[in-house]
Amino acid sequence: MNNAQVEIQLIASLVAIACAIPGTFLVLRKMAMISDAISHSILPGIVIGFFITQDLNSPILILLAALTGIITVVLVEYIQKTGLVKEDTAIGLVFPILFSIGVIMIAKNANDVHLDIDAVLLGELAFTPFDRLIWFGTDVGPKSLWLIGGILVLTLVLLFAFFKELKVSTFDEGLSASLGFSPILIHYGLMSVSSVTTVGAFEAVGAILVVALMIAPAASAYLLTTNLKKMLLLAVGFGVFSAISGYWLAHTLDASIAGSITTMLGLVFLLVYLFAPSKGVIAVLYREKQQRTEVSLLTFLLHLKNHDELEERHVNHLREHINWQKVRAKSVLDLALKNNMIVINKNIVSLTEKGNTFTTKAIDYIITNKDAQIEDMKDDFFLFRG
Amino acid sequence: MSNPIAIKVDDLTVAYNYKPVLWDIDLEIPEGVLMAIVGPNGAGKSTLIKSILGILKPIAGSVSIYGKPYKKQRDLVAYVPQKGSVDWDFPTTALDVVTMGTYGALGWIKRPGQKEKKAALEALEKVGMLPFKGRQISQLSGGQQQRIFLARALVQNASIYFMDEPFQGVDATTEIAIINILKELRKAGKTVVVVHHDLQTVPEYFDWVTFLNVKKIATGAVKDIFNDDNLTKTYGINFKVSVNK
Amino acid sequence: MNFTDYTFLVIAIGTAILGAVCGMLGSFAVLRKQSLLGDAISHAALPGIAIAFLITGAKESNVLLLGALISGLVGTFWIRGIITKTHLKSDTALGLILSLFFGFGMLLLTFIQKQPNANQAGLDKYLFGQAATLLIADVYLMAIVTGLCLFVLLLFWKEFKILLFDADYTKTLGFNTKFIDVLITSFIVLAIVLGLQTVGVVLMSAMLLAPAAAARQWTNSLSTMVILAAVFGAFSGVFGTVISASQNNLSTGPVIVIVAGVFVLVSFVFSPSRGLLFKQIRFMKNRRDLELYKTLSFMHHIAETHEDISHPHSIKLLNNFQGFTRKTLQELEEKNYITISGLNWSLTPEGFEKASNLYNQNFKDE
Repeated sequence: MNNAQVEIQLIASLVAIACAIPGTFLVLRKMAMISDAISHSILPGIVIGFFITQDLNSPILILLAALTGIITVVLVEYIQKTGLVKEDTAIGLVFPILFSIGVIMIAKNANDVHLDIDAVLLGELAFTPFDRLIWFGTDVGPKSLWLIGGILVLTLVLLFAFFKELKVSTFDEGLSASLGFSPILIHYGLMSVSSVTTVGAFEAVGAILVVALMIAPAASAYLLTTNLKKMLLLAVGFGVFSAISGYWLAHTLDASIAGSITTMLGLVFLLVYLFAPSKGVIAVLYREKQQRTEVSLLTFLLHLKNHDELEERHVNHLREHINWQKVRAKSVLDLALKNNMIVINKNIVSLTEKGNTFTTKAIDYIITNKDAQIEDMKDDFFLFRG
Repeated sequence: MSNPIAIKVDDLTVAYNYKPVLWDIDLEIPEGVLMAIVGPNGAGKSTLIKSILGILKPIAGSVSIYGKPYKKQRDLVAYVPQKGSVDWDFPTTALDVVTMGTYGALGWIKRPGQKEKKAALEALEKVGMLPFKGRQISQLSGGQQQRIFLARALVQNASIYFMDEPFQGVDATTEIAIINILKELRKAGKTVVVVHHDLQTVPEYFDWVTFLNVKKIATGAVKDIFNDDNLTKTYGINFKVSVNK
Repeated sequence: MNFTDYTFLVIAIGTAILGAVCGMLGSFAVLRKQSLLGDAISHAALPGIAIAFLITGAKESNVLLLGALISGLVGTFWIRGIITKTHLKSDTALGLILSLFFGFGMLLLTFIQKQPNANQAGLDKYLFGQAATLLIADVYLMAIVTGLCLFVLLLFWKEFKILLFDADYTKTLGFNTKFIDVLITSFIVLAIVLGLQTVGVVLMSAMLLAPAAAARQWTNSLSTMVILAAVFGAFSGVFGTVISASQNNLSTGPVIVIVAGVFVLVSFVFSPSRGLLFKQIRFMKNRRDLELYKTLSFMHHIAETHEDISHPHSIKLLNNFQGFTRKTLQELEEKNYITISGLNWSLTPEGFEKASNLYNQNFKDE
């Protein structure tokens, strides 16, 4: 590994961390698509900022571009408030138009602007080590490293300072307002941080891949934990892992680094999506199957409890009246027998004492929805666990 | 009651995401009653009619309409959904919405013609909304929107009507207008099932009632079973309503 | 560029057809609250284009669009899977699929660019669209798909309309809602894929939304909305193409989107029934009326204490009341509710009656 390679990986990792933190809150607040909107609509801000400063790493440019991001949010919210279109349409209208303005500005001033369309979408991570920051005649590292490092420090400071407020306002806006934290202030604070981070990351990874870095690590983490601190740490971990492994993937394939990082993020998400212990698809499908059997069993037990008539309790009735397939009826019957809930006598099914108590308890729980009564049943039944 | 059974529900169990909402419901509703389904929030009232109508798929159980499976008797049944379930900013007029009631009889592809339009206009007149036929639906008041929904069901000319909270968010005039139409339907021998939440008006409006809270608590004539005992069983707290008998 | 030349005609007809079909189907997307799904689908199509190229090495747009169609559909189904099977919400699912598929697509594109076989050029146009690359064969394909779409739309118009408005009710009428739903969604995906070459992956969704959002402001009828959206879409397509063709170095996608954006802006502001301008005017008029009535009822309050209602009172009496200005007094006089003589005012019988009615009305409202 040469020096430039180390620097690229370092920058990519810092970008990943800086994106994962606001991204986690955006995902939790159901505002993931806002990050998509911001990442597109900051483009005209960047171009205008570039006209003024002629330097992509200038703080003025970053502020200008971040301002465009916030204007986007305000504009979307304004259009939503007019009720002229549905809210998602408002997002879908605003950002492509702003982005188009940016693209056209670049195209019209191609000779003056050092941005090209590919850089807008993909960033130029590979070139970042060549733009050095010279301080008092000494080379102190790539400019982007300092830039994204600065943004990350700012994000971390804000995160630690306002962690409690962020947490409360994310999970319970009403409570946070009554505690005296202004939800609006937190909202726009988060939007500002997201905008600044997006601008900072833009140069490195491009418009659309910023979105991936914000959403994918947070979404993967959310499938593994609902604890906010753990979620933040996991998201950061996934981001850094994808950044570094993505770099080496790009190195191997000789392809875009940003594209490769996103592909790694996609792989991480796919794996978590499939295999997450309780919220992954495989676990969910297994649980649903389990629950289906359990609900069927309970339905069946309840039916027995409700009906004294022999005819209603005949084995065949399961098929005819309750309208189940033969197979399910049999598996339910077997399950009940195995658990000593029922006895079958001359094709007439009756509840055992155990079955009777169990059913009563289960119904009580279902009707009152009080958890206390079923604590001891949770071990046997998925149904009551969530 | 000597009337034939219009709706028969057997062992109906419904779960949302495998979380149970209705348990082993057996229900027989005789023809020609005006029935309220009452119960606390989350008792599964809407779920019950939605699963009778096949909008939700039950885990177990069956529904028959006049002795045959619901699927074969669909044209005998009309449905008035909750007003809040649709987007009232949808670009369409009152007449247009009411005409939708004829789509079922028309079947696939065929378009509504003069006959359907006439039926829709008649239904609009019945609910007192004829002057508003060309009005964009977002410009109607809550009560007027509910009347449009009722008119749409009337156009279907069904034998059995299911209504989900038809009195929610409507003005007093509309409430009286609606209940009068329902009573007229009953007089014509139709069966009307209404998800209802205002217990005070049950004895005045309805002659049949079902108490529901996940399980069926009781069902029968209002004069026989609408009492504090069943109310307490359903709502779980000691209940005293002044029932005007 | 010569605007009568054959190539230009092909391109103009192509973009007009594209704009029209996008406008029509976009109306459904907007009304179904699936505005952002289009964005996700178009981005998700990118890896499909690249993979189709890698497998076949073909440059014909039909093969590439088939790849786009498949990967767009995979993206759509994965979004549904994420929403139904996990606790992630729809916005997260959309953002995930959009960015992950796009990133993977970019990886493949940059990989292809480095490959030795030289005929890979031209995949770039799928990012922002390049209408200039449209061939007559592409336009035929567009026309066929649009014709098919129009036919299905007319055939199932009634079913589409009722499903969009009230899906549950549609089910109770015995219609197979899943079939109608799949039909609409497939055509939306098809329209998006068709537009990729002209408008590009990045901005395709705006092509779908903007004409529909603009059309919605001018009408309260679904059929008019669909027709208007098609017209707006066609105009955006043609204008955008003309403008971008007359300039150097300008992709078509962004220009079309901006033209469509102008349609939206004008519609939002100037639509007579829903537009912001007229809403603001109505709002201001109402507020002025309200202020006027407030002053009037204050005067009524004073006049009531006298037996003779037209007894003159000093204007100074109104001083401790915030709502009055010289202008409101004038307006009240114009409406013949009061008479002013010097520094005194007095209610006319007409004004007195109006004011007492106001009072009663307020009372009734409570």
